Amino acid sequence: MKPIKVSLMSGSPKPLSSASGALLDSLKPRLSDHFHVSFHNLNNTSVPEESMESFINSDILVLSFPLYVDGIPSHLLNCLYEMEINLKRHPRPDMTIYAIVNCGFFEGHQALPAIEMVKNWCHKADVTWGQGLGVGGGGMIQSLSGVPDGQGPKKNFSHALDALAFHINTGSEGEDIYISPNFPRIGYKIGAEMGWRHQSKMNGLNKKDLDRRLV
Amino acid sequence: MKLIIHDLDELKFKRLFPDLPNSFRVVSNDGTIKKCVGCFGCWVKTPGACVIRDNYGDMGEWLAKSDEVIIISKCFYGGYSPFVKNVLDRSISYIHPYFATRNNEMHHKKRYNHTFETSVWFYGDDITEDEKATANKLVVANSINMISNIKGIHFVDSVEEIGGGIL
Repeated sequence: MKPIKVSLMSGSPKPLSSASGALLDSLKPRLSDHFHVSFHNLNNTSVPEESMESFINSDILVLSFPLYVDGIPSHLLNCLYEMEINLKRHPRPDMTIYAIVNCGFFEGHQALPAIEMVKNWCHKADVTWGQGLGVGGGGMIQSLSGVPDGQGPKKNFSHALDALAFHINTGSEGEDIYISPNFPRIGYKIGAEMGWRHQSKMNGLNKKDLDRRLV
Repeated sequence: MKLIIHDLDELKFKRLFPDLPNSFRVVSNDGTIKKCVGCFGCWVKTPGACVIRDNYGDMGEWLAKSDEVIIISKCFYGGYSPFVKNVLDRSISYIHPYFATRNNEMHHKKRYNHTFETSVWFYGDDITEDEKATANKLVVANSINMISNIKGIHFVDSVEEIGGGIL
């Protein structure tokens, strides 16, 4: 039997240590052993040749990217356009697309317009939509790597990944899922703002510099 | 000041809008724009300005000087074109890294005691109803996050239909 090919593509502009990549790392062990899985970084304005070849030959694409200004980061948008053009030459209506969008805000549902854009892309590119997952609290995803699956602040996150993996493994379409961390929103806000102050201090700035106005 | 962000080629833009008053600043695609790299330097290194010093590094300041922002963009999948989106991705220095709650959701705090109106013109002869619905949601979300008021969201088959609508 021909193996099912799955492309996991990170659309973060960061090639290493991105939340988008971490989400794919968490998804991968949940995928069927029968899949032939490859990983690709779409961190530039054009799809690398090798990634494009893998994509066009895939049965399943899982696209993971950060929410930028309520939408798809511009470099990834350009990549999706290139992929659409390629799909016009090599139609793959049987290919199924799943999207994971992480946002720095607490509420995963703020990723809804971006997930709809991927659905609209599927329509234009004539591929099959599978399911979308909007993950809130993107700023803490990487810090949760030591937390056991399904526990504490990872509860919603783990259950959502299980549900997404189920649909990928069965090649089926699922309802979109939007989650927030199992963690108080105020705690997330305080932690994030401490992080900004720490980073500005590392850059030689003081707390008030964060408020700088140029007009 | 009125700020126009568009993705038309220069000749076409000049032909369509030949006599813009001096109160307009126009952000066009000169082919040199760099992508946002997600470094947040515009918040924690050079607050208020992008660390990438190409011709688009001062978008936050330009937004703060604008009473109205007019976006003219080919509609891509219910959103902006890659160039227009690139400009917007490079504009987050306009807001503050800290969070505020609006509409019972987490958003960013204002950096400036200022707001502007936004008019968006999406063009394209194959915009679907789903794309229009998504684009409306996107512009509403942008207006909440960038603390602006929506003046209008328009869909036209061709940019020629915009005419004097932006003035």
